[in-house]
Amino acid sequence: MTDPIIAQGTGAAAPVPWGIRLDGVTVRYPNGTVGLRDVDLDIAAGEMVCIVGLSGSGKSTLIRTINGLVPVTAGTVSVGGQRVDAARGARLRQLRGQIGMVFQSFNLAGRTTVLNNVLVGRLTHTPYWRTLVGAYRHADRQIAFEALDRVGILSKVWDRASALSGGQQQRVAIARALAQQPRIVLADEPVASLDPPTAHGVMGDLRRINADLGITVLVNIHLLDLARQYGARIIGMRAGEVVFDGPAAGATDADFEHIYGRSLTGDDRLDR
Amino acid sequence: MSAAQAASAPALAIPARPRRRAGVWIAIAVVAAITVITCLPAIGVGLDIAPIVANWRNGATKIVELLTPDWSFFPRTVAPMIETLQMAVLGTVVGAAISLPLSFWAARPTNPHRAFRGAVRTLLNVIRAVPELVYAAVLVAMVGVGALPGIIALAIFNIGIIVKLVSESIDAQDAGAIEAGRAAGGTQAQINRAIALADAWPAFVSQTLYVFELNVRASTVLGLVGAGGIGLLIDAVRTFYRYDQLSLIILEVLVVVVVIDLVSDAIRRRLV
Amino acid sequence: MTALAVPARGRSPWRMLSVVVVTVIVVAAFWSVQISWGRLADLPADIGRYLWLMFSAPEWSKLPEALWQTWRSIEMAWVGTVLGILLATPLSLVAARGFGPLWLRGALRLVFSVIRAVPELIIAIIILSVTGLTPLTGALALAVNGVGTLGKWGYEAVETVPPGPIEAARAAGGSTAQVLRWGVWPQAQPVFLSFWLYRFEINVRSSAVLGLIGVGGIGDMLTSYTQYREWSTVGMLLIVVIVVTMAIDAASGALRRRIMEGPRAR
Repeated sequence: MTDPIIAQGTGAAAPVPWGIRLDGVTVRYPNGTVGLRDVDLDIAAGEMVCIVGLSGSGKSTLIRTINGLVPVTAGTVSVGGQRVDAARGARLRQLRGQIGMVFQSFNLAGRTTVLNNVLVGRLTHTPYWRTLVGAYRHADRQIAFEALDRVGILSKVWDRASALSGGQQQRVAIARALAQQPRIVLADEPVASLDPPTAHGVMGDLRRINADLGITVLVNIHLLDLARQYGARIIGMRAGEVVFDGPAAGATDADFEHIYGRSLTGDDRLDR
Repeated sequence: MSAAQAASAPALAIPARPRRRAGVWIAIAVVAAITVITCLPAIGVGLDIAPIVANWRNGATKIVELLTPDWSFFPRTVAPMIETLQMAVLGTVVGAAISLPLSFWAARPTNPHRAFRGAVRTLLNVIRAVPELVYAAVLVAMVGVGALPGIIALAIFNIGIIVKLVSESIDAQDAGAIEAGRAAGGTQAQINRAIALADAWPAFVSQTLYVFELNVRASTVLGLVGAGGIGLLIDAVRTFYRYDQLSLIILEVLVVVVVIDLVSDAIRRRLV
Repeated sequence: MTALAVPARGRSPWRMLSVVVVTVIVVAAFWSVQISWGRLADLPADIGRYLWLMFSAPEWSKLPEALWQTWRSIEMAWVGTVLGILLATPLSLVAARGFGPLWLRGALRLVFSVIRAVPELIIAIIILSVTGLTPLTGALALAVNGVGTLGKWGYEAVETVPPGPIEAARAAGGSTAQVLRWGVWPQAQPVFLSFWLYRFEINVRSSAVLGLIGVGGIGDMLTSYTQYREWSTVGMLLIVVIVVTMAIDAASGALRRRIMEGPRAR
């Protein structure tokens, strides 16, 4: 699916989305703790998946194996049919360039402008000398402006990133991911630091990205009402293993209790 | 309580007083011993009051001279004072320019390669171990008298200070934005320029201005070893025992240092 | 394509002004300084040659003399630090807010600032008219210079101590001296010890510098051999200075960390 606005702005079609595949992935940390235990996962291109589980269940580890931020101890990780776990150096950076990531704590460079933060998404397409002098190509700036416009925050483009509210900063982070023109977007607890209306706004943005641009979206989230509302498919994790995998519509409260390993509390929902 | 009652009251079970740890006693003994040894006349400094008393009258006339500056000497101090400031400025500029990349190489978020980082830090420790005047004296013997050895000596001195303080500041910062840059596929050099620089900038400017103040102070005496500036004049007037002229020079130095302090404070607030 | 509503970029005038001022100063300095720019191209090769002369075969036979002179410099530093501490500590306590009268505090702080602004070499020159070119002059110069910085750190430390114990001591009716001894000192002691050690580190470096004008110590030896262009000895001396300074810094740093953090739990 191509988007008319982005297509005309940059003269290029939005890229074809990638699927994600994990085969027998185990992650053991240097101190001995096991983050993931023999995980098999197959996510088709263009799916919107919510991964739920308590903290420590392995969600963060899982999502970071997909772009190689966490190395795997055993098994293979592939995106779009290409191995991530075996990639190094320039090859790994190239793959990462196709995968956008949104973090719980936004991870913006606070002291510089919103635009410079979004341009980080264009780093894999920019030679070092341009980065050094700060002379990004006009086309790259256009992509950045369009990404900001898509999340409705273009008016803040010249503001210092740290001057924005939490919800606005997260939108800038999403714009940064979009500026990569990614085939996959990974979101690690994107709304955990946000209040309910803003959280709905950000989840809505992620769902729109999936629906309008066709990008594969993977969201780590511990709030079950948001997972049910915005995800098409839900994967439940507990103690490093996948314990649930099915359509969001069919996920009952009992399923969630099985995933969490305990009965549900008020903290598991966003809207009380 | 009467004496009889006091005598018949039950004795309190006062616990034994803990002895001060041996280490503290040893430390006090060592300090005292060193102090005594260093004051002895033969192998020590010779804290001898007799010559001081004998020379007192000599010293008194000198002090009176010091309190009456020779204002007519002023015109001859202008050119050397300007050279002093030139050395301070150029030393700061050269030192700061070299310090910026080195600061990134010495900090962990911006230089993940431990061996390279360790080498840079060791080099910095060695550079910092030599006082700037020693650099100046050796450089004068290498390249001749004048402003050039002074500028180089100050630049080296600056690198030691700026890199240490800026790299410590980078180490203390939250590395989230850098992780985001890595996830977007940027090279370490791009990440440093596009993300880390903005966050490190206030510390860098602050340390550069601080070092400039130190340079102004240091460059006033660099001339004593031949490296240009007002130090050469100080050396000349002291060999002629013109303490009234010396006192004028000292006053000028004080004024310049205070003015520089104020100006650099103002610039620091605006530039950051 | 729908046009994007990209807002205009505002720029702060103060920031531009500062950038302009700094650029003008830097350019003026480059323009007016008296350097033979032609020789600059030869500089790296020249320096490389000298570094080779210094460090390829250092003159180890003079090591005993170098170590003796290093000891003299360290003595200067030690005596200077101790004297500085003895002079500065009472003054800094009085200069702290809440302990001395306002006029006295102001006068003392002014004295501290003036002393800090005058480079210690100049202080040494003034003193040597009375005491001559001896290590004692160096020690006295370091002591006087130390009063400036130790004084400032001292009153800052007293003022940043948590006020609780001070209030308690006052409420119990203690005199100023007693409040200082029992309310301030127990809390401020690690900070004081820490910057006393730090001052010693600085003084070790300064003592080498003072030697350059002839008060004795390793700086003295450096000046002579540098003037005679005996590069292999100069190289050896520089190695000695680097090793000794780094060793003292490391030891002092470890001690200071131990003092500030307390002994490791056993």
